[in-house]
Amino acid sequence: MVETDAIQHQHAFLDLIPLGHVDPLVLSIVGANLQAVLDLPTDITVPRPDPAYAYLPSRHQYDAVKILKNLTVEESGAPLKLAITAQDLCIPILTYVYGESQLGGRAAVVSINRLSHHRSREKTFVRIAKICIHEMGHIFGLEHCWESSCLMRFSKQLEQLDQLPLHFCSACEYEIARQRKRLLERICPPPVSE
Amino acid sequence: MVRAMKVLVVDDETAICQALSAWLSKEGYHVETASSGPEALAYQADHHFDLYLLDIKMPGMDGLEVLAKVMEEQPDATVIMITAHGSIQTAVEAMKRGAVEYLCKPFDPDELSLLMERVAANKALREENEALREQLLERQETLLDGFVAQSSAMHHILSTIEEVAPTPSPILITGETGVGKDLVARAIHMRSEQANGPFVAINCGAQSETLLESELFGHEKGAFTGAVRARRGRLEMANSGTLFLDEIGEISPKMQINLLRVLEEKKFQRVGGNQYIDTHFRLISATHRDLMELIKEDQFREDFFYRINVFSIDIPPLRERVEDIPVLADYFAGCFAAETGKPVEGLTQKALQILCEYHWPGNVRELRNVIERVVVISRGRMIGADELCFLQERADDCHFGAMTLKEMEIRHIEATLEACGGNITRAAKQLGIDRVTLSRKMKRYALSKA
Repeated sequence: MVETDAIQHQHAFLDLIPLGHVDPLVLSIVGANLQAVLDLPTDITVPRPDPAYAYLPSRHQYDAVKILKNLTVEESGAPLKLAITAQDLCIPILTYVYGESQLGGRAAVVSINRLSHHRSREKTFVRIAKICIHEMGHIFGLEHCWESSCLMRFSKQLEQLDQLPLHFCSACEYEIARQRKRLLERICPPPVSE
Repeated sequence: MVRAMKVLVVDDETAICQALSAWLSKEGYHVETASSGPEALAYQADHHFDLYLLDIKMPGMDGLEVLAKVMEEQPDATVIMITAHGSIQTAVEAMKRGAVEYLCKPFDPDELSLLMERVAANKALREENEALREQLLERQETLLDGFVAQSSAMHHILSTIEEVAPTPSPILITGETGVGKDLVARAIHMRSEQANGPFVAINCGAQSETLLESELFGHEKGAFTGAVRARRGRLEMANSGTLFLDEIGEISPKMQINLLRVLEEKKFQRVGGNQYIDTHFRLISATHRDLMELIKEDQFREDFFYRINVFSIDIPPLRERVEDIPVLADYFAGCFAAETGKPVEGLTQKALQILCEYHWPGNVRELRNVIERVVVISRGRMIGADELCFLQERADDCHFGAMTLKEMEIRHIEATLEACGGNITRAAKQLGIDRVTLSRKMKRYALSKA
């Protein structure tokens, strides 16, 4: 478990779920970044098998929408779910996605399949962290942002993703903080005074 | 203010609708989905969409049929066809019928993103182009009515324009015909926060009530005989800009109520339509009529008057600001000389004097026409008094017309007596009255034979 202010809140906000084999270092880095950028207490769960139920033989890929549906119905664990897989993801309309999430929902899934940098392992880790935080932004209800220095900007290519900073613009940051506060109140409601 | 594009995704596969809807929502678009052609057309009847993403292969009504009906209802619609690899030929056919692009599913995320950016940019360009073209046309029509003023009255008006332009308040411009009310309206628009938006003008006095209603509110296809296609009205076109209602004193009380509602609710329905369209514009109205007088006569609603008249600007007639006449005349002479290639450099002092003495019932518009006429027929470098002799005739005619009946009678009797050499009998005969009556009139008006 990533050490967070979970002691203060008693609960993790987010379950980081490896689907199939995912480098533990990747999980640690993602967890640490989620904690640092989003201030999100995070649990790294035990690895689960590859999501065979979402496999599309005709495309040799995994359907991200099916994975999301599966994660959404889970009742145990943290209220938010972020799955990471080494498999290639797609959605019915797109040939591939780096990640997929429910806008204002509770689940996201990220594939590290296409994110590796051919020279720098460190850059690969940063890319994965960026995509994970970007998808979490969608879970917090954020749409894509037009600010060139905001992690919520849509990146058409990995080179564009590399250009983005590992943080949000002030407007998106404000919205994240607002949504995070609402989430916190929902999970840990303040004691009712008699 | 940039409005998010409204998108309708039409596909019989729920997964495709959901995936596209989710993806586009994250991009900030407002997305609706329909699982069949008829459902899409029913949606279209109640909502206005900027973009349609249409699947070609659907059971029942296919994408091409839906495309035809969408284009029929909304000729400016942007449609992108979605196709499987096998039906590219059909997609090409769709483009011939008005679709702007086609996508083979599944497509790359960056391909979709680029396409959406292109569609949004094209839409913005088209709207901007439409607004600019209209502004350009209107500006060309009044190109020569530049703000040229020397008088303190006009300088006061210019400073008022500077003060009121940045506010969102409605403005009423009053003044005789031809003083340049539309020019003042345009000047306010150019200095307002809506300056980058369209300036949409309409002369309310130039059309029937029905036509005016259709012009202002637009109409849906089939709203009335001859409405073969849906049309945007001026209220819609003026969104984010300025709406200039010229000759507002001519509109009917019923239309006043309709407009009052639009001004208060900032939304309206097209004629024959049942969906509300939001519109935000700055209103400038103008009239040459005395609206207070019309209110007394129950022809103009008082509540509407106060709604459109938060600020008022009264432009004095040209005869009350004679200082402006020489500078305006020189300005127009220069403009028309350049336009016609005539070597005219200006007007002589005597010519300017004639212009200043004339009373200009048609105001600046009449002055402009006079200068255009003399520049066209002039042969020298300076326009002289001789070339303006026709103005004297106009002045005489108008002078005669401005007289009271009594003054006219006196003048006519004097002229007849003079023409008859003081012979009362002959003059009476010429005037068609008897000698005694003429003698009595001469006595009453203290007229002599000579």
